[in-house]
Amino acid sequence: MNRRWLRWMPAVVVPAVIAAGIAAGSLPASAVDPLPAKSPAQVLALVAGHKVHALSGTLEQASNLGLPEVPQTGPSASAPTSWLELLSGPHTARVYKDGPAKMRIQILDKMAERDLVRNGRELWWYSSKDQSTVHVTLPNLVATPAGEEPPEDSVDPGFPDSSTVPTPAELTEKLLAKLDPSTDVSVGTDVQVAGRSAYNLVLTPRSQQTLVGSVSIAVDGENGLPLSFQVAARGQAEPAFALAYSSLTLGAPDPSLFDFTPPPGTAVKEVQPPPRPLGAHPGLDGHTGGSDVGRPQVTGSGWETVVGFRVGGDALAAEGLLTREPLLQQAMVAVPGGTVMSTSLLNVLLTDDGRIFVGAVPVEMLQAAATPR
Amino acid sequence: MLVALAAIPILIAIAVRLSSSVPPGRGPAFLDRITQNGLFVGVTGVLVSIPLFLPLTVGVVAGDTVAGEAGLGTLRYLLVAPAGRVKLLLVKYAGAVVFCVVAPLVVALTGAAIGAALFPVGRVTLLSGDTIAPAEAVMRLILIAAYIAVSLLGLSAIGLFMSTLTDVPVGAMAATVVLSVVSQVLDALPQLEWLHPWLFSHYWLGFSELLRQPIGWDTFASNAWLQAGYVAVFGALAYSRFVTKDILS
Repeated sequence: MNRRWLRWMPAVVVPAVIAAGIAAGSLPASAVDPLPAKSPAQVLALVAGHKVHALSGTLEQASNLGLPEVPQTGPSASAPTSWLELLSGPHTARVYKDGPAKMRIQILDKMAERDLVRNGRELWWYSSKDQSTVHVTLPNLVATPAGEEPPEDSVDPGFPDSSTVPTPAELTEKLLAKLDPSTDVSVGTDVQVAGRSAYNLVLTPRSQQTLVGSVSIAVDGENGLPLSFQVAARGQAEPAFALAYSSLTLGAPDPSLFDFTPPPGTAVKEVQPPPRPLGAHPGLDGHTGGSDVGRPQVTGSGWETVVGFRVGGDALAAEGLLTREPLLQQAMVAVPGGTVMSTSLLNVLLTDDGRIFVGAVPVEMLQAAATPR
Repeated sequence: MLVALAAIPILIAIAVRLSSSVPPGRGPAFLDRITQNGLFVGVTGVLVSIPLFLPLTVGVVAGDTVAGEAGLGTLRYLLVAPAGRVKLLLVKYAGAVVFCVVAPLVVALTGAAIGAALFPVGRVTLLSGDTIAPAEAVMRLILIAAYIAVSLLGLSAIGLFMSTLTDVPVGAMAATVVLSVVSQVLDALPQLEWLHPWLFSHYWLGFSELLRQPIGWDTFASNAWLQAGYVAVFGALAYSRFVTKDILS
């Protein structure tokens, strides 16, 4: 009998060994050296001064906005929902980057893929589901003429490339000073992202009214590359939005990745880029088309900002988009004076008299902004 | 059974050939590509057969290993020979593994062959939009078959264990097939997300990673580890059960 029980030993030992191995593997690697302590300004300067221009990695995105989940299959997964679909539910994308002018993002879907390829002035968008290709020839950029590689020491694109510009350290000091009245910027405990030690920069709104709980950015301790981005909503344990590298390799990827030729049999749509140079910021003032219609009405400040539009022109189109979307209709709730689309980070109020109010604030504040004074 | 599996891609190819053009985005993925490139018949065949047909045949083969001999009453004669129970179990499992390797290869290569016969063959467009030469595409097809073969190892180990539990081969086969369906149903329930990475069917459709450029090997590796875990656990269970079993038939 004893021998019989001995024979059953492997059936017990093997699962136990596997379970132990998994448990050991999932324990946090505590032996990692802690990063030298840095102030928020120093971490920001590290980000601004980072020189990582060539990398390949995998990005994982997860959102918990409280929107209904888009069905992964079925006829309702139509084209207009695709922008929404990117916001809700998890996604995985592979990112390849070599210098500012060469980039490829592959959004990995089930049995399908969407690709964004940029090589110099050529910009391609390919979707394998309907085999469609969109091609844009970008205008010459001011900062990097003809898509040339910038010199080694140039800062991130987005900062004007000139010697009169203050150093990243000065810039971050200025930025912090500007943020300070509304936001508490701190460096949390170090985190591990994609197997790399990173500083955790946490921005917490000082306002108690906003829906945003905190914004945390993980910054690679070695080279200052932002590794993850997380927005936490108030009163929700899971982050409302999270984007993080799950794996990252520094160094130039295979150059053939950036050579994209549309596959045979696809319809290539040529799109003219907007005449506005890409460097200019298409901010809210883009709506000032002379008339009052569509000019945003801004109330509140900092995190409590509420932006209101009078419907007409672009805003009408926006409202049409919001109300026609079957998925969004599910999320619409009628309130006194209009309907509200509520997510855990952002509320949108469509008033009955045709105005739209958007803000990261509770619905009551939107209603207060909508009532004329 | 291999003939039945080979019939799947042939049926797909003939159906697509006879019907009018398939609108893109309808039916199983890749179906609309077949008219442009015959090699996609192999991919579509694998895609169609992985949820049911391949697990079904693997369940039949693996469930039959020990219980089949017991059911025929030949098991005790096999054990009279001085081979030993462990060796018999290993040989039986090896037979199931060979089937796991051959079955997806048959589907993929028959599909490629019938597709090449009925449709034009040219450069193959991958999911990423890049194109590769037909020869490389056949390599990818073989890789996909290898991926599926690895994916089915866990199921065949479960089948082997089931087979040691009973003397009725049909019972072992049915239990194995039902388990594969249950695993896929659980994998489709979003409420059980924490469980998904541990289900043996979780990576079955992950062969699409092999159709990207560059190939995503991560899924291949995680799948291999998962299946190795299932083989170890159910192999150990099958061993323990078989060496302690009273062989009466």
